Amino acid sequence: MMTLTYALLAVAAFLLWWRKAEWGWIAVLVALGLGIVIFVGDVDFSQNLGIRL
Amino acid sequence: MKEPILTPEAARVLNFVGLLCLIGVLVGAYIYQFSYRELPCTLCLLQRLAMLGVAFGAALNLTFGPQPRYYGLCLVSAVFGIGVAVRQTLLHINPYFDTDIGQPTLEVTTNPPFGSPVFGLDLYVWGVVVFAVAILAIGVALMFRGQFEPVEEEPEWFERLAAIAAILLFAMASVETISALLECGFGDCPNDGSWNWWAFH
Repeated sequence: MMTLTYALLAVAAFLLWWRKAEWGWIAVLVALGLGIVIFVGDVDFSQNLGIRL
Repeated sequence: MKEPILTPEAARVLNFVGLLCLIGVLVGAYIYQFSYRELPCTLCLLQRLAMLGVAFGAALNLTFGPQPRYYGLCLVSAVFGIGVAVRQTLLHINPYFDTDIGQPTLEVTTNPPFGSPVFGLDLYVWGVVVFAVAILAIGVALMFRGQFEPVEEEPEWFERLAAIAAILLFAMASVETISALLECGFGDCPNDGSWNWWAFH
């Protein structure tokens, strides 16, 4: 998923340069959303906070 | 009419300098990655992602003129980045967390830092510093309203600066994509920092 997240930013950056596509800011928000999903998956709350989900 | 302190022209130059600084940090991380043969962990890659997000906001400011929305994008990215960087720093400070197995422990451990330090600080601590400076800089920049005034006749260098920024951003994001593909494939990234290129397995 990390690869797809970076790829999304790369495509948005390319279109910003080539077409001046303003929607790139939405792509960044989506990429950050994916980043949060990856982050939460990496944390493993059940172990780190001593709670069982 | 009184001349604003931060003119649209000055704001563009500052955004470009900020973007260059972030790209410089990312290039530095790359040089470090290849010269020390230490692959970035998941949290490291997320911090790089956040830095690209901040740089993207700056590139939008350069392309379409400074707008609060684009500064907001920088801010959201920087807050995400500092959250990740602080977590990684705390993992290595906490004596009851074993970073080797990635789990808490009842034994006191001396967690080795991830990677080699740069100027005495580990990369994730530098991450905290970079994002804290970015948040501070964006906060200060938002205090000046003059930069949001429309420019009657845009000079040619506006467009040139915007194009350079977007190309740099695209180049950096592409390189990161290829690196992430080789390291992680389309699944989870390995967290052991070893040199295991996915494509060659």
